Amino acid sequence: MSARFPVITGLGVIATPGVGVDTIWSAVSSGVSGLKPLSLFQSPRYGQIPVGEVQKDLLALGAPAKSSRSDKLGWLAARDAIEDAKIDLRNCGDRAGILLGTSVGGSFDSENFLTNLIKYGKMRARPTRFHECISTVNVIADGFGLYGPGMAIATACSSSALAIAQAAEMILSGEADVMLAGGADSLSRMTWGGFHSLLLVDSAGCRPFDAARSGMSLGEGAAILVLESEEFARQRGAKILARLTGWGMSCDAYHATAPHPQGAGATAAMQSALHRANLQPSEIDYVNAHGTGTRDNDLAEAIALKTLFHNRVPPFSSTKRVFGHALAASGAMEAVVCVEALRRQQLPPNPGFEKCDPTIGLVPVTESHHAQLTHVMSNSFGFGGNNGVLIFSQPEVFPQTRLPEKIEIAVNGTGAIVPGAVVEKEITAPLPQGRGLVYSCGTLDVSSLNPNQRRRLSRLQQMALITARQSHAPDASERVAVAIGTGLGCLEDAGAFIENLISKDEREPMPARFPNSVHNSPAGQVAIDQNARGMNCAPTVGEITFECALWQGISQLAANEADCALVGAADEVDKYLLSIGQRWRVWNDKIKPGEGAVVVNVVRAKTNSPAAKISALKIGRWRKPFEAAREADWIESAIDLKKVGLILSGAGGLSQIEVFYQSLAAELAKRRGDRLEHQTYKQFCGEFHAASAFGFSRAVALAREKTCGVLLVTLSANGGKAICLIEP
Amino acid sequence: MDAAMQVSTRELKQKIIESLKLQDITPDQIDDEAPLFGTGLGLDSIDALELVVLLEKEYGIVIKDIEEGRPAFRSVKTLAEFIAAKRAA
Repeated sequence: MSARFPVITGLGVIATPGVGVDTIWSAVSSGVSGLKPLSLFQSPRYGQIPVGEVQKDLLALGAPAKSSRSDKLGWLAARDAIEDAKIDLRNCGDRAGILLGTSVGGSFDSENFLTNLIKYGKMRARPTRFHECISTVNVIADGFGLYGPGMAIATACSSSALAIAQAAEMILSGEADVMLAGGADSLSRMTWGGFHSLLLVDSAGCRPFDAARSGMSLGEGAAILVLESEEFARQRGAKILARLTGWGMSCDAYHATAPHPQGAGATAAMQSALHRANLQPSEIDYVNAHGTGTRDNDLAEAIALKTLFHNRVPPFSSTKRVFGHALAASGAMEAVVCVEALRRQQLPPNPGFEKCDPTIGLVPVTESHHAQLTHVMSNSFGFGGNNGVLIFSQPEVFPQTRLPEKIEIAVNGTGAIVPGAVVEKEITAPLPQGRGLVYSCGTLDVSSLNPNQRRRLSRLQQMALITARQSHAPDASERVAVAIGTGLGCLEDAGAFIENLISKDEREPMPARFPNSVHNSPAGQVAIDQNARGMNCAPTVGEITFECALWQGISQLAANEADCALVGAADEVDKYLLSIGQRWRVWNDKIKPGEGAVVVNVVRAKTNSPAAKISALKIGRWRKPFEAAREADWIESAIDLKKVGLILSGAGGLSQIEVFYQSLAAELAKRRGDRLEHQTYKQFCGEFHAASAFGFSRAVALAREKTCGVLLVTLSANGGKAICLIEP
Repeated sequence: MDAAMQVSTRELKQKIIESLKLQDITPDQIDDEAPLFGTGLGLDSIDALELVVLLEKEYGIVIKDIEEGRPAFRSVKTLAEFIAAKRAA
């Protein structure tokens, strides 16, 4: 088992200073700010404010043309990381996967669609093809041949720290031998206008921890690490750059945007990472701080550092002024900084700092200099009070990382808001006029929510809150983790925010809507409502989003970081989704868009408990062209088909994958040797990313009703696949 | 203060209710001098930003630093005085 410790064997990075680890390190160590006025798009109001934009010519370095700006950034970092690791992925089969933090996804490109539509009345839907956050994972996995688990996590500014932590979990638990892990995010009008609407941008460029700091600077880019199990890396003779020995995740459960004023969640995440690594605070030689430069973050983070390290805070610095804050990519970029600091035994400075803030009372590293570094820590904190902390160590260190346990998982409660009926929804101007039929949840009964939840939360967040309450009653003695994913997030709020930005040229923004645009906003609100301070995650993985949330929740139970995990998925329909689908003829007599939310409360199974058990869960990517026999082999490698009495699948939805579902079900029935019933669920709920969560709740009911094992099979049109075996 | 510079607190309250989507509250229920944040109406930092937008939209007053608005956001009365002072300036 110890041979499964995760090691880092390759790095790839692209950001405003340039491309490649050496270029980035030279900017980091000299403390040069890469911030310049924006040129990527017109910003009538904030055009002169400095930002960390990636130079145009760098993006042309071989990235696939058919992809979003975020995808291109991610692809370039992935290519360099794979080259650096000197790994031949063709030898890895389905043992190599990818886990990325992406928060903005293809929004920048989708905004071009909206600008054309709003300003010129033209419907050019093509740029929205890469809108989803999972797109970057798909582009990289297809491009480099990765058939292991593929996931994207969207928890705003902590996304890639969570992605790297969970990739490590995948390796440690034996789900994969190799994981590309990191993050990619491009600049977008939405985040640019959004952070300005929150008055969180420093017009002089960010000055982390400085007395005069007045906000962050935005940036963009991508960074990807090649993580491998030590055994795999040694067998192939790879050079080990560093180890990932600890990781910790937590939630403030305090506010949508503001950090906990005492940094309680940040402290908890650092403690959790130290616990995982089996290290004492005194063993940490350097902290790469989140240090955005906002008044509140830096103060709360400083308090957290002082709480954890007492009066012996190790050397720390924020490198945000070098890169700008690249949101979901920033944790991965700073992971690269940490690995390089270890390799070079150099402390990175904190550009922008001049004068100590007496309320903070700490001085970061001001000049790069040599230091003995054995263990270093990297902090990433995001909207929704979402915290991720990573600990990197020298390759020579023998890791003491705590291992996950093999446990049985039981379903302890389910909450569901599912479509009740097909309703007709009007598509309003400026889109092409028309009507669409939607499997709708109808009007939500929000009477149980408090006035602030009623007035400020989006429909999607409200659905998540209500279903989470149905599945779980808060208990102060319990440690609760949350993983509630979404394919497309709060479409209505994000759409309204961008529409307003474009049509009013950045005047009169909508600051209350912006925090709802992040995909972890439902999970974050559930955490506040349930006082859930464990990991808080929002996977966004197309049709298999729910299964990924389930995996994330289970891994927290197996690591004994939580007593209970609230896992789920939610999606909503808006006018743009409806009309783009109409344009592409996705919707027809059989296939209608749907919406809904399901949250499941999972726990460690107790002996003799009547609850349904989840006896297998596996996530991967199917190979193109689809071959039923190969996929059936993959399923049989995880489960004994004799335990399956019924297959429940997502067939009956998207036409591209319908035939795959049918052939796979037939192949499994053939192998099982006798009658194997195949049922579907999309005829009840319509087509939406979170639909497999509804499938899961149905599978639990069917397993009980028929007292047999139910195999939930989900395929995503873009390559994801998942199986889950539920037994009564 | 010049009467023309004065801001009707009733009108202001109505605008606050609309812009913050306050539920089940009428202008009469908001005391001119009651604190808007923390206790009182229980508003938070995101509501403060919505008030910044309200000031820009309705009164043409642009606030670039939330610290600048902080004293004005104490109550409806201080907000009305702030608007009047900005208009007079």
